[in-house]
This record gives sequence, C-alpha cells and structure tokens, in this order.
Amino acid sequence: MKTDIAVASEQPDTGRRQPGFAALFSGPAGRSLGLVIALVLLCVVGVITSGSLFMSFDNVMTILRLASVIGVVSIGMTFVITGGGIDLSVGAIVALASVWASTLATQTLATDTHWIVMVTTALLVGGGCGLINGLLIAYGRMAAFIVTLAMLAGARGLAEIIAQKQTQVVTVDAFVDFFGADVLGIPVLVVIFALVSIAGWVLLNRTTFGRRTLAVGGNPEAARLAGIKVKRHTTLLYVLLGLACGLAAVMLLARTTAGTSTHGLLYELDAIAAVVIGGTLLSGGRGTIVGTVLGVLIFTTLTNVFTLNNLDTSTQAVAKGVIIVVAVLLQQRVAARNGST
Amino acid sequence: MSRSRFLRTIGVVAAVAAFAAACTSNEAASVQTNLGPRAVSSNDEPGKEVVIGFSGPEADHGWLAAINSTAIAEAKRYSDVTLRLAEGTNDPSLQISHIESFINQGVDAIVLLPTDGAALTEVATKAMEAGIPVVNVDREFTSEFAARTTILGDNYGMGISAGTYACKLVEEHNLGPDAVIAEIAGLDSLPLTQDRSDGFKDALRECGQKVDHRVAAEFTVESGEAEASNLLQAVPKIDIIWNHDDDQGVGVKAAFDNADRNEFFFIGGAGSANAMRWIQDGEMEATVLYPPTQAADGIRLARLLAQGKGMSDLVQVEVPRRIVLNAPVVTKENVDKYLPLGFES
Amino acid sequence: METSTETRLTPEPDATEPLLRMRGIVKRFPGVRALDGIDIEVRAGDVHCLLGQNGAGKSTLIKVLSGAHQPDDGTIDWQGERIRIIDPQAALDHGIATIYQELDLVDGLTVAENIYLGHERARWGVVARADANRSAAGLLRRLGHPEIAPATEVGRLSSAGKQIVSMARALSHEAKLIVMDEPSAVLDQHEVRRLFGVIRELAAQGVGIVYISHRLEEIREIGDRVTVLKDGHTAATGLAAATTPTSEIIRLMTGRAIEYAFPDRPATPPSGEPMLAVSGVSRPGEFRDVTFSVAAGEVVGLAGLVGSGRSEILETIYGARRSKAGSVTVGGRRLRAGSVGAAVAAGVGLCPEERKSQALVLGESVGRNITLASLTRFARGGFVNRRDERRAADEQVAALDVRPSDVERHVRTLSGGNQQKVVLARWLLHDCRVLLLDEPTRGVDVGARSEIYTLIRDLAESGIAVVVVSSEIEEVIGLSDRVLVVSDGAIVHDGPAAEIDEHAVLDMVMEGKTAA
Repeated sequence: MKTDIAVASEQPDTGRRQPGFAALFSGPAGRSLGLVIALVLLCVVGVITSGSLFMSFDNVMTILRLASVIGVVSIGMTFVITGGGIDLSVGAIVALASVWASTLATQTLATDTHWIVMVTTALLVGGGCGLINGLLIAYGRMAAFIVTLAMLAGARGLAEIIAQKQTQVVTVDAFVDFFGADVLGIPVLVVIFALVSIAGWVLLNRTTFGRRTLAVGGNPEAARLAGIKVKRHTTLLYVLLGLACGLAAVMLLARTTAGTSTHGLLYELDAIAAVVIGGTLLSGGRGTIVGTVLGVLIFTTLTNVFTLNNLDTSTQAVAKGVIIVVAVLLQQRVAARNGST
Repeated sequence: MSRSRFLRTIGVVAAVAAFAAACTSNEAASVQTNLGPRAVSSNDEPGKEVVIGFSGPEADHGWLAAINSTAIAEAKRYSDVTLRLAEGTNDPSLQISHIESFINQGVDAIVLLPTDGAALTEVATKAMEAGIPVVNVDREFTSEFAARTTILGDNYGMGISAGTYACKLVEEHNLGPDAVIAEIAGLDSLPLTQDRSDGFKDALRECGQKVDHRVAAEFTVESGEAEASNLLQAVPKIDIIWNHDDDQGVGVKAAFDNADRNEFFFIGGAGSANAMRWIQDGEMEATVLYPPTQAADGIRLARLLAQGKGMSDLVQVEVPRRIVLNAPVVTKENVDKYLPLGFES
Repeated sequence: METSTETRLTPEPDATEPLLRMRGIVKRFPGVRALDGIDIEVRAGDVHCLLGQNGAGKSTLIKVLSGAHQPDDGTIDWQGERIRIIDPQAALDHGIATIYQELDLVDGLTVAENIYLGHERARWGVVARADANRSAAGLLRRLGHPEIAPATEVGRLSSAGKQIVSMARALSHEAKLIVMDEPSAVLDQHEVRRLFGVIRELAAQGVGIVYISHRLEEIREIGDRVTVLKDGHTAATGLAAATTPTSEIIRLMTGRAIEYAFPDRPATPPSGEPMLAVSGVSRPGEFRDVTFSVAAGEVVGLAGLVGSGRSEILETIYGARRSKAGSVTVGGRRLRAGSVGAAVAAGVGLCPEERKSQALVLGESVGRNITLASLTRFARGGFVNRRDERRAADEQVAALDVRPSDVERHVRTLSGGNQQKVVLARWLLHDCRVLLLDEPTRGVDVGARSEIYTLIRDLAESGIAVVVVSSEIEEVIGLSDRVLVVSDGAIVHDGPAAEIDEHAVLDMVMEGKTAA
C-alpha cells in the first residue's frame, strides 16, 4: 500500500479514479457534501426571508412530516435502483394500499379488534404488489419499466374500483391517535421516517443483503457467476419497495385521515428524482441512503420556503427546476473536487 | 429456476389476491342517486323514444364522478331515453372521435362535457350542422354555433359567493380591515381555478379586504393536506380560509386537525357530502355549491330538445340557449336542504 | 516491406517522407507524466507495431493521435506538414482513423448505418439507404469480407465481424492511417488469421497501420516495424519486426530480462482420487458425452476453437448452464445440475472468459470483489463484519501480489493481469477445491503473464484441481499436465501434455472441424 505510487503513476488513463475513502470501508457521507451544502443554502434563504417563522420547531416538524411519506418510498426506491431496477408503480401501490386498508370492511375489523389490522393490510397489499412486480421481472424476464408501468395502471385502477372513486375517511380513532401522536415532541411519522432511514442505511451498507444489492446492480452476470441468487435477490428488492409503499400508505392515511385512489400521484417521479439527485446511479451498482434523504429534504424544504414567502405556483415551478439543476451541479463539483485531491 | 415453479407461484399470488379482494370489498359505499327535490311536470310523461349520446372527462374522483353517475341515473329514470355512454377520457382527440361516432350513429341529441372547450368546438359544430342538438355542460365552447344549449356552473360566481360570505363574516365578527384571509386554490393551471380566484378577489375588494396568503393544491386529498400544512406554518394566525374544493378539503381539514388550529372560519367549495356533514357538526363554517347535477340537467334538456318540447315552467315553448346555475352558500341554517345534493367525494 | 511498395496504387510523392512523424510528444495529467517525449515514425504501407506494458503510455499516445487528448509538448508532422489535431473530427479529416478495443459501434443500427455514422450518405436530410448499402458493400469487399451484408444489424455479428465493420468505417473516412488497439484480443486464432489478411491487403493499398497487441507472436507475423514504449518513453523505435529477438523486446518492455516461460511441471504427474469427475455431460447443439476427471493438484488444459464447446463445457460444470445428461461430482459428491449455488458451495470457482462483463463488479473496490463469493463467512445475522472482511482481502492481495496493493481501489483502474488476480483471489478466499479458468491470460500483458502462469501452478500444487481453457494452444500445452482437445462438441484427445505438441493439437482441432 505504501509502495504503489510508481505503479499508480503508470496508469494515466484512469483519470476517473475514485478517492480511496469513498470506496470500500467508509460511508458515502463525503459524496453527499454537495447536497448538504445545497440544503444549508436553502435553509439560509428560509431564515433570511422568513426568520423565526422558518426556524420554529413547529415548522421544522411540518417539513419533516411532509417529507416522511415520500421519504420512506424513496428509501425503498434507492434499493431497487441500486440493484439495477426501476419501479414506476410506487404511487399506484401507495394508493391501492391506502384504499385497501381503509375500506369499510377493514376499518370495521380494525375497530372490533385492533388498528394494527389496517397496518397489516397495507403492508400485505404493498408487499404483494412488490412480489408480483419482482416475480414478473426476475423470473418472467420482462423489462422492469414495462412490468411496473402495467402495475401503475392496474393498481390505481383497482384502487378506484375498491374505493368506488370515493374518499374513505378513517374513522378508527385509535389508528389516527397513534400515528398522530408525538414522541418527546417529535411526530410519530417523523420518528418512523428516521427509523426507516437508519434501517435502510444499515441494510445497504452493513449487511450481506446490501452488498449483494450493489453487486447485482453493478454486474448481474458477475454476481450470478459468483454464486449469488440474482433472481431471488431482485424479487426481494421489489418486495422491499412494496413494503415501503405499504408503510407510506399507512403514514398517508394518518396524515390525511383518508384513503383514496388519488393518493401517491406522481410519487414515482418524486422518488426517482430524490434518489438520483441524492447520487444513486440510475444504472445501478451505486447507492446512497444519505443522499436520498437529503434529496427528499431539499424538495420538501423548497416547497415550504416558497409557501412561507407566499410565492405563486408558477414561480415555484420555475424555481424548483433551477434549484434541482443547481443542487446536482453542486453535488457533482464537490464530488469531483474530492476525487482530485 | 423452472418455469413451472414460477407459474405456480404466480397462481398462488393471484388466488390470494382474489380471496383478499373478496373479503375486503367495500359494501357500504354506494353511488348517490336520489337527487333531492324534483319538480313534477307534464314533461315527465313518456314521449318519443330518443337516443342521447353522453361524453365526459375521465371521472377519477369526487365531483366528476358524481357528474357522471347523476347523469346516468337521470337517463335511467326515463323509459323513453336510451343513453349511449362514451368512455370517459382526458384526451381531447379521443373525445372528438367519440362525438364523431355519435354523429355517425345518428343519435338524437348529445350531452357533452368537454375535456377542453376550445378543442371540442369544431366537432360539436359538425354535430349541430348534422342536425343533432348539442348540450354543452360546464366547460364552454368557443363558438355560439357549437351548442344548442349551454349549462354552466358558475366558477366566477363561486368566488363571488365565497368572497361575499367572507365579507359578511368580517362585518359580523368585527374582524376589522386587517383581517387575515387565506385561499387554498385547486389546480392552478386550469381556467376554472383562475375564475374562482378572480371572483373571490373581486368580492373581497367590495368590502376593502384582500387575499393575504394563497396556495394551490391539486384537487387531491394528499396535496390539500400538504399545502394546508405549509400554509398554517406560514401564517400563525388566520381569520378566514376559503378552500376551493371539498375533495381536497378532506386533506385540508386533516392538516387543521393535525396542527390543532381552528381559530379561523373555514369555507369550502363544490359542496361534498363530507363538507355538509362538517357544517352540521359545526366543524366548518360554510361551503359554496358547485352542483354536480349539471350533466343530469343536460340529459333532461337533451331529451326535451330531441322530443321538441319546451321547459314546462317557462312560458317560452323552447328550451333556453343558456342556463347558468346559481352558486349558493351552504351554511348551518340551510344545510339540511342541500344535503341530498352533496356528492360523496 | 520493400516488395509491397511495388504493388502500391498511389505511391507517396516522396517515398522517404514518412506518413506520420511524432517528435517529443509530452502529455501530463495531474501528478503524472503519461507521455514523456515519445518519438515515432510511420510510413505509408507499413504495419507499425506498438508494444508496451499496461501503463506504458500506448493508450494515451493513441488518444493524442486520434484527437481525444491534446499533447502538452512535441510536434506532429502529417505527410510532411506540421499539424495540430484539435479534436477527433480533425483526425478523421486528416485521414487518421482509430479502432478502439471497446468497439464503438451501435448494436441496433445496421452495418451500413454504422459505417457512415456521423457522415451519413444523405440527400436533403434523408438517408440514402441504397446508396449507403452499395458503398458499404464495396468497402467490405475491399476488406475481403463480402459475406457481411450491409443491411445486417451489427448486434448480430461476431466480435470478428464487428472488427471488420470498424475497419470499413475507418476506410469510409478515406483513412490513410488506421490505428488498431488490440484488435486480436477478442478473436480466436482462425479469426485472427482472417484479420491479418485484411491488414496485409490494406497495407498493400498504401494505408499505414499502427497495430497494438500484447501477443509477440502476432507482431512477428504481421508487423513491419516495432516501437516499444516504457513508462511514457520510447524505449526503442523502428526495430525490424521479423528479426528482433523476443528476449530483446521483452527486455525493452519490462526493463529487465525475463524468460517468457511456463513454470515447470512436477516430474510425476499428480494422481489419485479425482477431485473433479465429469461423466457423460451433454448439451445438445453445444457438446456431447463429455467425460474426464481432474485429480487434486492437477492442471488439465482444454484446447479447441471458439465455438467448439470448450467454454460451454466449463460453464456447464459450474452450473451456469444446465446439462441434459450425465453428472458432475466434486470430491465424490454429485452436484445438482444447473445450480451455480451448489457448485460454489461444493468449492468450485470459475474465472470466466469475459473478465469485465462476467466476473468483476467494475464500480466496486478490489476488496469487495474479492469477498463477493464468501460474504456469508464474514457475516453474522446478515451483518458484515468489515474488519474481518478487510483483513481477509488484504491477505489475498498480499498473497497474490495484486498491484497496487490497495483493497479500496476501484477494480476498474487495475491492469488486466491484476484484475485476473482479483478474480483468482475471490476463489482462493472461498477455499475452492476446483478452479475453472477460461482464457486466464486474455488482455494480460506479457510481463504479467508469467506471473499468472506461476500462480496457477502454485494453486495446483496447493491441492486444487485446475481446468484451463485457452485459445492459445501454446498456453494450453505449456501450462497443463494433461491436455484435452475439444473439437465440434466432443473430446477427441486426452493425454499428457508432455507428449503432444502444438502442431498435433492444431491438426486435431482443424480435422475435427472439417470432419463434422
């Protein structure tokens, strides 16, 4: 390790060499530095323009609460994309799970027994959709794009049929009370988001499952020839994302006190955007949970700052586009600088 | 992995899903069909058998779903009406082709709620020229010659009603010239949202008020909740909030409850059954009606047009060219009267 | 070379003026002088071979020549004129075309569309297909490959076919100089012969060729002159390809005198209970009734042409393909057919033919690539113990002398030889008992080859049963204790390596081919 300078200098054609610290045994935090800077800049703008209003505990919690639902979906999406896949059906799965978990039948059962029935239903529906996606992609050898596009249409249609295009208000008070509560002043939804983030980070960076995800996404053929069960692993990734969608549906039920087939509209775009802005490779093989969480927070904070400043929606849309590009540029520049020193 | 094992797995998954669906189906939800007070008139007597073609946007939710279901229910009431239903769509070109096939089939009248008024004007004119009366519902054509009769909800009028009611609240509760008034609009890119906002603004100006804070949601529960949450953070104390749409209102209300905020008067829009129940329970001040019965009225008028009859309550023997529905304010005092009109969002 | 001058269609105006003269080319990258004063001259009609170990500067020099890099110093004279090659388009405009190792063809387009990509034959923006197809067919005929139809989709061609299309593309630019970066790396011997025919033809037409290869024997055959690069310098230039001794070239490349030699075989070949026994394994259309065994400590070589079924046999033993008949046993226990997991669990390791696409996760570090097959060993309850993992990876890197010896480095940045060591390390760490090696020295430069050979022999001596497949018959014979010859899906010979020579093997390989 000390004597390889000469050898290294013999390889001028590999200018894209990654810094050693970002590779094997260290976390991806350094790579996300650009996003941290972007988020901090955004907060500075918020403080300057709205002062104490922005900084208030309540407002920070509002941002985190709004980020929590799409955040959980995005963390699941990070795994699928890192594993070389894509899932366009997340929003539709959230809608279906939310509707299924809030039908009169489910709610009646939940009132008679325990609200956990609703949670289980949502998770089963989400996980089931993910399983169908995964089986068709891995064993049915269909393109992920097509399978999940079909699921997008099918799941939302099924949600409309089940809900009969109506909004199903959650009447199980124990459910609303539990998820609407605070833990030491922190909303339960935010606590769930935090726990999922931590669990996602550990799973991706510290377990054989995460390591295999990177290998499967980086080079599925090499992973297969190294003895990894690539098909089974791919299926599990979609199931994992489906479960995340089910959990997100539960959180959305709590947030809006209603289940409807319009829940989760355009989640697929928001989640993919957050994941990719976070620094996960769209082609697979590299993923960062920290980046994804930062990506989600940047989006949510952005909307909050705009609303605090009473900006109209068209201005918001333009600014959003600009800031996405700036955030990604910043993130690339900082990463490149880290790489060259 | 063998193919047969894969197929077996799929089979098991499908079976479980079907079973689960059967177990949890939504028995209680039913489409609202009884549409309140009906004027009994000689026109209800069966007349000439007529075929009416109906085409509307894809009804993914609430108000639009109610538009469709009430229209279908209305047609069923008449033994002399055969309804041709075009599949709902949000694609103007597809809707144009629906109307063209109506023309080819030679229906007796067409009721059309266009996805886009301007885009459907030409094909509607073609139908008129072919001698088929067209009843234009909710979104107006750009040409006078494209429809025999136009039935409009009044989006600007909704804004006026909401604004006027807000002015009344300011006066009654002495909120003063600095009253904080907020608006949660619907999908901002739609002209109807602009109309509602313009009406609200204009009415508020009459009593020296203005909209202090405005956000726009997307007619969905989720977006209503998100926008309202941010709005509450942006404005620590609010006197009056007008929310354009009771569909998204479910989310808006959840945000209020979540933040424990109720210092303001909460006015809704469209008039869903949910909103009316909140009004009954005192959790909402009022909602401005935007009737989901326009298409049902359109069916009735189309029947009369096809049978060559007039409206029996009018002296004139012909159906009027233009009907603009009122946008009344539903409050605790009159909610019982309007509750049957409320649609399940 | 002198004889070919006479057949040239368009002799250069001044025969003594070289087509290309590069003088004192310097190219610096941050912290590195990749090229430090390169001199090279290429004459029209010459096949000029560029030799050097990985990192010697060959790739950088090509990129300077193709306009991808700008030199920091030095001059380029082209047909007697001082020029600057500011971008790849400028290079093409001058008539300098480069065919990269990773062929830059678009699989979804046809042969003709690829040839004219970027300078489409079009009238008013509409591609003139018939016209393009006709001229493409002309170019392919000129290259001696009229059987490639211009309307074929490139994705359906073999590597060799793609190579020809790349050359046709170069010709379509009316190239006077064609640079070829390791064109033979993806070809088998038969295809290489045909490629050489094309190159000779082009040279005869007055085109200058810069030919890069690791294989000295090829250079002997096709080259006129040789330039050897070492550490960004020109170690020697203008050497006669036919007469310069191999030892001299290797000395120039490595800076030290080494024998390009195979390690000694043990005097008494290993015997005893077979570690790997393959019995009656068949896959219709690929190979049939393959039976052989390998003892612990034995190296068995499989010789055969591409398409003879040799790689398929390895992959079937490994479970990556499912055999339709017969059995594979390892250490006396029968493996479940068609299961890589079962093979890996039984201690079988495969170093596949396409290292980059089949073996390595290029975006990952050396360490993670080494531990990929043995992750569960470092895991408790699914959590990876990274200290143990790192220690194990470090040990392997040290044992196999992977350079640079940094487990955190991305495996992408390693040379071919060191990448191969990483794949070997993966299976050593896994304590494998049977090692299947498919083309173990493909893309590995001369200096590192001997190392790989020695390593393979050491592994065998530690008790592993090794099976080697290679296109280079010399390698199969030199490396193995026993040689199997595969021809047209069947094993036609099984005997000690010491008792057979290259010609005999070649005969059997070709004969079986024609007999079928």
